[in-house]
Amino acid sequence: MIRLPLLPTVIKNLFKRPATNPFPKTEPVPTPEGFRGKIVYNVEKCVGCRMCVTVCPAGVFIYLPEIRKVTLWTGRCVFCKQCVDVCPTGALQMSDEFLLASYDKYDGKFIYLTPEEAEEIKKKQEELKKAKKKSQ
Amino acid sequence: MGEKEEIVLNAIRDRFPDVEVNVKENKWGRKRIWVNVPREKFREFIKFLKELDEDAHYSIGIEEDAGETLDFSIHFLLFYDTSPGVSMIVKTSVPKNDPTLPDISDIFPISLQFEREAMEMVGIDFKGAPDKRRLFLPDDFPEGIYPLRHDEKGIPENMVKNAGHPYLLRREGK
Repeated sequence: MIRLPLLPTVIKNLFKRPATNPFPKTEPVPTPEGFRGKIVYNVEKCVGCRMCVTVCPAGVFIYLPEIRKVTLWTGRCVFCKQCVDVCPTGALQMSDEFLLASYDKYDGKFIYLTPEEAEEIKKKQEELKKAKKKSQ
Repeated sequence: MGEKEEIVLNAIRDRFPDVEVNVKENKWGRKRIWVNVPREKFREFIKFLKELDEDAHYSIGIEEDAGETLDFSIHFLLFYDTSPGVSMIVKTSVPKNDPTLPDISDIFPISLQFEREAMEMVGIDFKGAPDKRRLFLPDDFPEGIYPLRHDEKGIPENMVKNAGHPYLLRREGK
């Protein structure tokens, strides 16, 4: 005799609603608290201690010694949150953002602090230094 | 606990009085026997282990480059019919100018896989191994380069590839 033990379950399930989330038409499944999404970098808060460079397993960070900041390419990030835990000033934070598909791996949304922005910060810092010297 | 270690230690001292034996204990009270065997006695020692406990379990063979020498250690588990078994590490060192060891795959058949790995990764030659093909490295990998060596026979600088960071790429004007 052929045994079909799943048949009653299948017939029962035919009269139930689908348990799916039709994503583009609806909101995605909400993220839980403490979700590890894309990194958010606050350049002002950064003091250039290089802890994130030491701790990152994926080579996301590059230290820029002339302005004492770091540049990020989150295209390589593995979302381990170690840089966030180690950052002493809270300049790095995890966001809820997880829809990160892109056509270009060097897309602007993956990069914090481009060379042009670094130049700008350098100029600003030099101006600040001059102002300080004048006031003294 | 600890009686089994005594049995093994006494057996080793009876048969190999001049072999270096240490017992270390970790902070959770787990004991492990570390044995340093000269390579002349390596095969004899493994045979002795098999005679001591027929069900001796070969866990892993570890090869490493220890500067002056190449080390090959084997982790055995003995008398494991009641928990905890006797954990034991048998270590041999071979000089770099003559890196040969006797093959033990007729005593512990699984050791052949670890020997093949050791042959390609640090270049220890196991004399009499029935199979000397490569195990993990691709076929087009150059001969005479051993990836886990720290010296000039290790991977040369030009074989190391880095996919690059966009900040550095832009700086160079690419």
